[in-house]
Amino acid sequence: MIILFVALPLIVAGVLPLIGKVSRRVVPDLLANATLLFLLVYAVAVGRPLIGNGPALQKLTWLGETVNLRLALDGFSLFMLMAISLVGLCVGLFSIDYMEHYGAKANYYALFLIMIAGMNGLVLATDLFNIYIFLEVAAVASYSLVAFGLGHDELEAAFKYLMLSVVASAFILISIAVIFGMTGSLSLPAVARALQDLNAGPVVGICAALFIMGFGLKAALIPFHAWLPDAHPSAPAPISAVLSGLLIKVSGVYALTRVFLNVFGLTPALSTVLMYLGTLSLVVAAFLALGQKDIKRMLAYSSISQVGYIVLGIGLGTPLGIAGGLFHLFNHALAKGLLFLTSGSIQQATGTRNLDEMGGLANRMPITAATNLIGSLSIVGVPPLNGFWSKLLIIMALIQAGHPVFALVAVLASVLTLWYYLLIQRKAFFGKLNERWAAVKEAPFWMTASTVLLASLCVGVGIFFSVTIKSWIQPAAGVLAEGVQAVIRSWGL
Amino acid sequence: MIVQTALLIGLVFFSVLAIFLKDLIRAAISLAVASLFLGIIFFRMGASYAGVFEISVVAGLITVLFILTIALTNTGEEVRESRLANVVFPLFFVVFVIIDALVMKGLLQKIPALPSGPEAGTFGEVLWKGRTLDLVGQIGVILAGVFSVLALFRKRDKHD
Repeated sequence: MIILFVALPLIVAGVLPLIGKVSRRVVPDLLANATLLFLLVYAVAVGRPLIGNGPALQKLTWLGETVNLRLALDGFSLFMLMAISLVGLCVGLFSIDYMEHYGAKANYYALFLIMIAGMNGLVLATDLFNIYIFLEVAAVASYSLVAFGLGHDELEAAFKYLMLSVVASAFILISIAVIFGMTGSLSLPAVARALQDLNAGPVVGICAALFIMGFGLKAALIPFHAWLPDAHPSAPAPISAVLSGLLIKVSGVYALTRVFLNVFGLTPALSTVLMYLGTLSLVVAAFLALGQKDIKRMLAYSSISQVGYIVLGIGLGTPLGIAGGLFHLFNHALAKGLLFLTSGSIQQATGTRNLDEMGGLANRMPITAATNLIGSLSIVGVPPLNGFWSKLLIIMALIQAGHPVFALVAVLASVLTLWYYLLIQRKAFFGKLNERWAAVKEAPFWMTASTVLLASLCVGVGIFFSVTIKSWIQPAAGVLAEGVQAVIRSWGL
Repeated sequence: MIVQTALLIGLVFFSVLAIFLKDLIRAAISLAVASLFLGIIFFRMGASYAGVFEISVVAGLITVLFILTIALTNTGEEVRESRLANVVFPLFFVVFVIIDALVMKGLLQKIPALPSGPEAGTFGEVLWKGRTLDLVGQIGVILAGVFSVLALFRKRDKHD
């Protein structure tokens, strides 16, 4: 029942606001988090056996009639589902305490679950138009979640996000329309097969350019990043964590990767474009992050930079590069989720996001400081944390493929990353305690518990990285490395 | 061909007018007229269902909702807007038209003939049997829209 990944969060989202009329806090907290926990357990316990003998295809009957719900679960989609459920659960737990002062918690969870359903649907879709529809499901929910605080900044950021996202959707839709015109189909395996047979290089090139602009905007790759540094800091902290940790990766990187590697086929020209875009993002965003005083804005620029690493690895197209890119996608989801959550704890305790106004908070919030340090070191790529291994894989893949200059740039950008994360540590947590924060206390239980869970995962995945790579990364990378044949042969729906 | 060109020019003209008109009600009506032109184009191209939805929902229902909302919220105060849009938009529009004229005609000729017929059938068959997952997605979009309105137009009460 692959459809459960989409249907369950949608059904729970549908009933949550009604339940919220009866119980404003406890039941919505319990129901939303139970749903997210179920999805995680289902992905880990049921999903893996399901794809043991190749991709699993959804077969559903209703009153004896076959229902035409085309969904496919393979190594790549299962990996993404697991990442979505895991980070989603941690964010859900954090929201129990954090969203108390926002009010309308049932509505918040409903929108959050719709966003999860949208991402899950996108990951499982086997058809270009389905991808577009679920992209919109997740996007519409995310616009409202960015504006959820109802302040001036939140509304302005949500509007800017909406406007640029609509432009991205338009590019994607135009490309889908042209592909439909060329191939007569929207189904990924049929399109992949037709594009192999057709001699339509220039048109496919235009479609690829439109997809790069559309999905690049969703992934906030430079130069398509303008919306992200406003939208991510303005959203409530748990939503910033989902946007940076998951949404830009699912609606940007996943969609881009699935379409280019499994449908179009990664040509040398496409590979070069992706590698240059990735490198541009990781360098420029790292420099932009250095100049920020707002902690969440700095983290937002860091997300753009880290997505650059992911695109660089996947764009390289070698099995090791793809594995490195996917592993970094997972590690960044954990670490950036953690960092945005801890920034939320700081903001709630102090009422500010300005790093210059902080100082010495490690004395008052030791667990938040420790977990933030782990997240920072993970993203910087300090051994033995998870981020170190994924960056190492990407750099090794670049050297192995004969791109030492790209590898050098990736290493140097890591030094820049270290620089701005040290700035966060020095300005926020270390040094003399600012008098204003003398009465500050550690974050409430669920907020602390979720950050400790994510920090433990950063350490655990780093120590047991070979298990993670064998169990989750290799099956996913295998599907992508197989290229167009992976969907033509296995998804012959 | 003349009718088709006239319809396309009308569509573009009223779409641009909707962007430039300062009066929101006139802008909404202009958008409805643009939708009407689009609906007629759909009919002429044989996409009758798309034409019906475009005219009834977009040109009709949504315009009514726009006008109702504007009438209920309009305070009569002029909203100051940046003049940058007045320069940037026409510039982009002209560049777009030039690219369209230079590139698209040649490009469309390079699109090979369809290898097979498009996914076809009656409207009901396509919607219920071919595009079932889209309907699930549509439910998601509708739920997201409804809960967004509830969340963004909420009043904070004493419990919150």
